[in-house]
Amino acid sequence: MEQIFVLTLNGLATGMLIFLIAAGLSLIFGLMDVLNFSHGALSMWGAYVGLWIYTGLDQFWLQKLSGFNTSPWYPMVNILDFFVGILGGMLVGALLGWLVEKYMIRPVYGNHVQQILITMGVMLVLSEAIKLFWGSNLIAAPVPLMLDGSWQIGSLVVIKYRLTIIIIGLIVLGALYWLMQKTKIGLYVRAGVQNKEMVQTLGINVRKVFTLVFILGTSLAALGGMLMGPFMNQVYPSMGIEKQLLAFIVVVIGGMGSIFGSAVAGMIVGISEAFMLYFIPDAALAVNVLLMAFVLLIKPSGLFGERG
Amino acid sequence: MQILKNRGVFIALLLVGLLLPLFTDSQPVLLLFTRIFILAIFAMSYDILLGYTGIISFGHVMYFGIGAYSISLLLKHGGESWVNVLLAALIAVILSAIVSLIVGILSLRLKNTYYAMITLAFAELFHIVSLKWRSLTYGEDGFNFSSQIPDFLKDRFYFYYISFIALLLVGYFLYQFTKSPTGKVLVAIRENEARAEMLGFSTLYYKLISSTVAGVVASLSGILYAISYRYVGSASVFGMDKTIDALLMTIIGGVGTLFGAIIGAGIINLAHQFLADLANFHPIFERWLIFFGILYILIVMFFPSGILGTFNKYKYKFQSRKVERDKSHANSS
Repeated sequence: MEQIFVLTLNGLATGMLIFLIAAGLSLIFGLMDVLNFSHGALSMWGAYVGLWIYTGLDQFWLQKLSGFNTSPWYPMVNILDFFVGILGGMLVGALLGWLVEKYMIRPVYGNHVQQILITMGVMLVLSEAIKLFWGSNLIAAPVPLMLDGSWQIGSLVVIKYRLTIIIIGLIVLGALYWLMQKTKIGLYVRAGVQNKEMVQTLGINVRKVFTLVFILGTSLAALGGMLMGPFMNQVYPSMGIEKQLLAFIVVVIGGMGSIFGSAVAGMIVGISEAFMLYFIPDAALAVNVLLMAFVLLIKPSGLFGERG
Repeated sequence: MQILKNRGVFIALLLVGLLLPLFTDSQPVLLLFTRIFILAIFAMSYDILLGYTGIISFGHVMYFGIGAYSISLLLKHGGESWVNVLLAALIAVILSAIVSLIVGILSLRLKNTYYAMITLAFAELFHIVSLKWRSLTYGEDGFNFSSQIPDFLKDRFYFYYISFIALLLVGYFLYQFTKSPTGKVLVAIRENEARAEMLGFSTLYYKLISSTVAGVVASLSGILYAISYRYVGSASVFGMDKTIDALLMTIIGGVGTLFGAIIGAGIINLAHQFLADLANFHPIFERWLIFFGILYILIVMFFPSGILGTFNKYKYKFQSRKVERDKSHANSS
């Protein structure tokens, strides 16, 4: 029973992280018909830059103030560094996303083959650039002190950092829901997913909405990447493509263009991954690929997708 | 014969290919060119998908790996014999045809972009199976099967010609395929899928044919690749970078030109060799993929038809101008 609880919690945390990456992918595809193959690399940039800022600031304070690591203020500063790291990572994700959209995707707008090929090239360059700056070995990513360890509730063990991820994921999901359902921008996006020519005819600058959604998607991916580092205790250059693969599976299962679908599919994939990794670790990816194949067979447009 | 369209390129390739071993008996050079021929076959099969049907696969390496593993496992466990080589070819062809049909049926009913994602997922699945099934594949370390290869295939000189002839045969076959009625329908699908569908062609059926042909040919190149290295390992024949290599070779050589893939394979492999040597001077050259990535983006953006495609375009422009000049000359006289 305890084991199932721990695995479920772990799966939900993994699912939230994949959801953060998949949400942007799904929206970008639904709205712009662009399958962004550089999404994983952008998320990885968020992870590396965020971690770099977080550990850099941490080191800075420790060197500046001697004996600071025993001070009661240190955990507070430490977690503040962590959130500055998150912010920095998301900013880099947004900036790179803006550059990619403006200079790579917009020139070949409307040509799907070229778009996929170009974003693939961007992925190549961005992943290699990571190795250029940070080397190709894995780097340790420490969990912030305040979020380290676990709570004991009865006989159940709740690992703090996993709960944090789930809470952040729920906040993002809520914020996205609010953005999509309650604001003008969300209205444009939802209308654009259904029929973008009509939205354009009504005098709304769809290109601007595209750019906005792209930046939103890549900064969410960067957030997912940044949170993933301490979750796995490390970052490494192939994590981008690995998590992107899971995000693709989530998007296919959940349905293109549906945030809710990505969230549900993210949970399914995350939980199946967590359980498989515990029971039959070798078959973890196989189960998810089979799950995807099964969904494709019975409902090709995905569980919550409107169109295929 | 329309193959004469690229007559110059064709004859040059033929001459270089036939005569090279007469000028050098250096094993590394022969091996380098053997691998260029093999990877050119792989890249040409990729061009059938990307250039002639307009669908992108990011998991093309799985067919390559199926071929490589089927020959190496069969020789390793069955021992040295020609029967096993032929049997391996048969198994590779059947297996890759089945896999490409399954993947195709799952994904090609949808938008073509799904194909890119789903092939990626399946290729990763094969990669992981080859990595984890250690009792059979020895995982990441792979295994050597040089003592089980028939002597004839082990001779670098003969194997050079075998690869070259395979390249010519596959090139001829694929060329005929693209010029066949089926090939024409594929091009129609690439240009405008909705229109092809309206004209009454079952586009799913034709896209399945295309992906199966590409898969089967890729598995043949995988067989040759494994024989040339006398070794298989999961990363070397199922790794994502092989797919990216095929993509780069096809794009740089020229999408939809078939023989451009041969030029692309030559450039990528020679440059790979060259940059690996340069890495001794400055570590930035270890990240050679970054240069190719940038070059690749520039080509996709500004020269979407690649080297051979751009060359042909200018040649046609020149020729049509010449024809017009001749015409006006004939009219005036």
